Formats: sequence, structure tokens, C-alpha cells
Amino acid sequence: MSFSRRGAPAGCGVARSVDVTRSDAPTALIVLRFWCVMCSLLVTVSAFAGEPVQLTQDGSLKRDPRFIDGGRAVAYCYDETPALVRMMKISLIDRIPQPVFADAADKHHYEPAFSPNGKWISFTACTGNLSGKLVIRNLESGEQADITHKGRGGTRSPTFSPDSKRVIYAFAEKGPQQLWSVKTDGTDKRQLTTCSGVSNWPTFTPDGRTIVFSNSREKNYEIYSVGSDGSGERRLTNNTLMDIRPAVSPDGRKIAFVSTRTGNYDVFVMNIDGSDVQQITTSEERDDYPNWHPNGEQLVIVSERDGAFDLYLIDASQGRTVAGR
Amino acid sequence: MEDTIFGSRFFLSPHDGGSMLDFGSHKTASCSGSSRRAFIRTAAAVPAMMSTGLPALAEIEEARRRAKAKSVILLWLWGGPSHLDMVDPKPDAPDDFRGPFGTIATKTTGMHFTELLPRMAARSDRFSVIRSMQTTNGGHPGAGTVGVTGFEEKPGPVQPNFGAIVAKHRGQQEALPPFFYVGRGIPRDLPRRIEGYGGGTLGKAYDPFLVHCSERGDISIPTLKMLPNMSPNRIEDRRTLERALDVERYRLDSAEIERWGQTYQSAYGLLTDEKAREAFDLTRESKKTRSSYGQTTFGQGCLLARRLAQAGVPYIQVNWSEYVETFTPNGDFGWDTHIYNFELLQDRHCPIFDRAYSALLDDLHDSGMLDDTLLVAMGEFGRTPKISVRASREHWQHCYFSLWAGAGVEPGRCIGESDAKAEYPVSQPITPLMTGTTMLELCGIGAKERAEMKVLDGGSIINELF
Repeated sequence: MSFSRRGAPAGCGVARSVDVTRSDAPTALIVLRFWCVMCSLLVTVSAFAGEPVQLTQDGSLKRDPRFIDGGRAVAYCYDETPALVRMMKISLIDRIPQPVFADAADKHHYEPAFSPNGKWISFTACTGNLSGKLVIRNLESGEQADITHKGRGGTRSPTFSPDSKRVIYAFAEKGPQQLWSVKTDGTDKRQLTTCSGVSNWPTFTPDGRTIVFSNSREKNYEIYSVGSDGSGERRLTNNTLMDIRPAVSPDGRKIAFVSTRTGNYDVFVMNIDGSDVQQITTSEERDDYPNWHPNGEQLVIVSERDGAFDLYLIDASQGRTVAGR
Repeated sequence: MEDTIFGSRFFLSPHDGGSMLDFGSHKTASCSGSSRRAFIRTAAAVPAMMSTGLPALAEIEEARRRAKAKSVILLWLWGGPSHLDMVDPKPDAPDDFRGPFGTIATKTTGMHFTELLPRMAARSDRFSVIRSMQTTNGGHPGAGTVGVTGFEEKPGPVQPNFGAIVAKHRGQQEALPPFFYVGRGIPRDLPRRIEGYGGGTLGKAYDPFLVHCSERGDISIPTLKMLPNMSPNRIEDRRTLERALDVERYRLDSAEIERWGQTYQSAYGLLTDEKAREAFDLTRESKKTRSSYGQTTFGQGCLLARRLAQAGVPYIQVNWSEYVETFTPNGDFGWDTHIYNFELLQDRHCPIFDRAYSALLDDLHDSGMLDDTLLVAMGEFGRTPKISVRASREHWQHCYFSLWAGAGVEPGRCIGESDAKAEYPVSQPITPLMTGTTMLELCGIGAKERAEMKVLDGGSIINELF
């Protein structure tokens, strides 16, 4: 683990929202904020109407969208060139993509996670040949903790605990890929699980008591829930094809996830106990990487349409119930 | 599950290089045991072979005669794709081998792919899979050279790339060079490039002509980057070109001009040729066709390859990436998945490949080009069946796969078989030398021509493909 300081983010949405809402903000800013909220509302209303709202237009390969700025913007990663992945953000209002980090050399980042208190970002960074480290960066100061393990290898899928004090992530150090936990300052690194198969995509329920994740011990990825103390593991999905990238809704009652059970990558939503599985997307092309809007009613996903990858805002409630889990 | 009738080499000379006597060199196997066709062929052949050997050989010869490739498109999956996680899954292998992906049925009886290749599974009746590939080298540049030349590197010029042999045999008929690389550069790893990329012992005149195609279908020719502000779109006629060259001649000394040599002459020549310009213009395709390949460099590169084949180019190698490294700063996501194997195959590599390969197959089929275009997809090796401590897979030269379609190849077959953990072939291994020999044979470069060119000595043909 190392600790260093990086440049502050380029107007990162989480930090910017604090400025605009200050009580001494000029009237013009208040008007601007009202206008922005109305525009944002218009976008979300469009998605509520059932029609997906396309947020990006360039069609380049994208991944890992995350709502930020109270749901008014989305951070994501995309192929800027065939050899460069950059983390971007796009406002739902002006829909103009811009880099999350001002320093152009601050690149090759994947799987961003933003802490609930808006103070931290964590992501996997490509740091050298066959080396990926976990970064936990303070969005205001730019200070960061680099979480590394012995030998080469890469961390995956960081997520913050609801109290914003710890980051849970996946890593394979000596065999099967397990879930790990570390404090935001980079200390107290611990292995949480000792499962067979590959474990990945941890996500917390809002009360912090349960972790939902995928594991492949049953010959393909299934989704499980387990108490944050490691007790009471429960299998939530049960079919012969992958169920991956679980994302717990803001109210803790639903889980969005991706499955190939339809023959290609589609987005599904189920109850937190695995019941009432609903298919949300039905395209014959790929729909992937669901992330909940803070309103708990919509998802941002990456959809492939006519071979192009873009971000779409979709209604999470208009699914079709499917048999089985 | 072997057909041991063909297990012996009693009527084969391993160095015959001919097209008949190699028939007996391979065991035949399929996913569900010996294929029906192989069984029938074997059953029919054995009595005849015991007497004269002619009828069965004649059948193979006839099939081979019918099989002719005007063009070869090689999809070079640089870095070593994981056979277990794609076309040779082992769901009943132990935890530390099988990987996390479910399996799906294909259109080929008894053959399953992983869930990462649904489009290809739905089209398996249009291509054949070899699951018993084996090579001699476990390092990228070395195995890469073996993969595209059939032979190990040696001091001095290496053996020529299969494409270079085709280029020499066919010659340059028109403005379009006979051997194209579609990709970002000569395949390489961080330390060095692949030695077998080009003409080798045949000479640099048979090196490939490199063209890059962006994810939006924009074409760039690295040779032209030597001239500032010059792009294919700006070269409207030879006069424009000559003006640009005149300017550069003042700037560069004669040695530099000389170094441009034949390559840039070819570049400018083809860019002022109407047919060549047309081949490069992907906007002439319908939106539906372009989008079917996917908005990725590999997808659009496959479409460019189809257009080049349509324009008469005899050999096109589409390189998945320039670098093998899959996760390194400024690397372009090769198949060398020492880390993030499962994540990258699932998130990036397989969806891109599944879409592009399927689109190319459909396109060739629908246009009637599949009859005389050979489509081969393979890497330089596979990946370790045993999952590493980093939850990934390392290099594995002992068993991997290749995909074959078109030009008379019998589709819908699963040829060769790996053992229960996909560690080693249980049928006769099929080598890069055999893939090259088969490619050339289909291009009309028979044993006699190969001997005259002193290439692919000792190569035999993969008869199970016909």
C-alpha cells in the first residue's frame, strides 16, 4: 500500500454539487440550478414513459456507468482510442462528455465507485504490464491510497460500504478469487471470503448488513447474499448461465443484474431475496452494466445498438416476469 | 473417442508434401466421438485401402479439387485465446480448471461453446472447429512465427508468412497488393515484434501491406503518415500526389526517399486507383452491414477484409491487436490474459469476436463469396487449463483451437478432441505447419509449387476439413 497525492478531479460532479447548493450562492446560480433540475427531470420523465433515453452518441466501447451528483450525471469508462480507456462523466442536462480527471495522464481507469458521502472515488488502475491496483482517492484533496498485493494481478469491482469507511473489492492472491475489504486510508486490508470458484461484483444493501455478489462455484456465475459478518449465505439465482453484476437498489428492496439466460446479455431486476425475476431489456444486442438512479426507479445501462455502445437511461419497473431464478 | 484406424502412418511419408499420402496421418475424432462422415469414410476406405488405397483417396482428392480459395482471410487472435473459455469448454472438469462460464449447445451435434459465443454457436453449421491444435513454442513472438509460417525462428531470415507465399504465387495483378495486414501494426509483444510477419526467405518484396481501420471504418495507411497532412481522402489524383511528393523531396534527403521504397509507391499507386479506393471505402456498405460487424476496430477490420477479398486480394490477415498484452498502459487488449482473463473475455474480447466473426461469416455466405474464400481464425496458442493463482490463465501451447470456413471446407464439424481437462489432444495433434499447408493447397499452391518455392517442407493437409 502506498499513499500519494493526485490532482483534484476536473469539476467532479460529487464535489461540484456542494458549491452550487451553498446558501450564499448567487441568484444566477440558483436559477441555473433550478433550470438544471428541470432539465434533469425532463430526462428522467422521458425514461419513465418507457422509452430508453440515449445519453451518449459516440458509440465507442463503454463500461461501468455510475450515477453521480445526486443522479444528475453519470461517470463511465470508454475506449478513447484502441489503446486508451478513460473515465468520463456526462451530465444528464447538457449531455456533453468530459473527463472525470483534469490531468490527461490520469488514465487507464476502470470500474469506478463513488462513496455515499461523496468524499471518495475508488477504481482499478492499470499501472504497468499485467498490473492493476486499487486506488482510493479523496475527491477534494486528491490524496490517494494505492492498494496492492504481492506479485502481479489485478483488483476488481470496488464498492464502498454504506458508511463510506471501507472499500470491498475482488482479488485473487493465492487461488480462487475472493472478496477483500480495506479502509479508505488503505489500512486494515482483510480477506472476507474463502469460497471456491470466482467471486466478483460485491455490492452492499443500504443498511450495510448484507453483501450481494456473484460466484461461479456452481459451474457458472450465480448471485448470492451473505451477511457482512460472513454469516447466512444465501443463493439468489439458479440457472445454467451467468448472473453477474448485481446492484442493490437505493431502497434495498431490489437487485438489478445481468444474465445471458435469454441468449445474450440482458438486464434483469429481482427482489432482494431472489424472487420475482423480471426481464428489463429484450434487445437481441447486448445490454449490460446496470446502475441504479438514486430515485430507485431507473437504471443507467450500456446498450449495444446497431453495433454501437452508448449509455441509456431506462425504466426499471417495466419488466416482464420470467419463470425461475 | 478416436478413430484409431487412421492412427498409424504405414502409408504416409511425413515429408511427402504431397496431397495424397498424408491421408493416413490423422486420427479422426469429433465432439461426440468419431463423426458419421468420418466413420462412413473410414468404413468405406479400409477395405479399398487394404487392396489399392485408391477409392478413399480419390474421394478426398475430389473434395480437395473442388475446394479452391480465391482469397484467404486469416483472423489472427494475437495473444493466445483461451480454448476452455470459448469453443472447448469442460464443464465437468475440476473447479480449478473449468472456469466460470456456462455452456450452450451449438448447431453441431454434441458440440458446446461457452455462453460467451452465442452468435457463433447459432452458426456452427457454417464452419468447423479444430480442438486439437498444438504448437512447439510457448512464447508469443516465437509461437507467432510458428503460427503464421509453420516453423520456428532461426538465425537469419525466417520462413515466409503463409500470406507471403500466396503473394509470390499469385503476384500483383492490379494496384492492390496481394498480401494485406489489417491492424494497428506488425504484431508484437512489449520486447519485440513477430519475426514471421512477412516475406522472410522470399524477401521483403512479399511483406504485407499494412492498413489500419478505425472503429468507425476510417482507413489509415501508416506509410502515408510519413507525409504530413496527407490522407487517402486528400489524394484525389496522381497530380495531387506528385505535388505532395515534390514538397517532401525538398525536405528529405535521397536516402530517406529511397527507404520509402516500394511500400510507399504501392500506397500511392493503390490510392490513385479507382478499384483500390473503392475497396477501402466502407461507406459504400449499407448501414446495416457496417453495424452488423460492430463499431470496433476488429469488427470494421473484418469488413475491410471482406471488401479486399471481394476486390481480388488473395491473402488478408486481420490482426486482433498489435500488442499481445491485454492489460498494460497503451496496449491494445490482445488475448494474452494473464490477468483479468474471465473479466476481459466476458466484457470485451468474446462479445467483439462473436459479433465480428458471425457478421463476416454471414456476409461471405450471403454474398456467395464463402464458396471461394477461406476464413480461418486462430491464435498462436491456447491458455493453461489450470486456473492460475491470479484467477486467470497463462500460455499453453499443447492444446488450442482454430476455426475454418469456406472454400470447400466441410462445415459443421468438430475436428479433434482434447482430454478431460483440455490439456492435451487425445487425437492426432494438428500443427501450424498443417494449417499453412492446407491454406496453400486451397490457394492452388500444391506440393510441386511449394517444393519449387522451398516452403512448408514436410507439411501435410488436414483432410478432416473436407
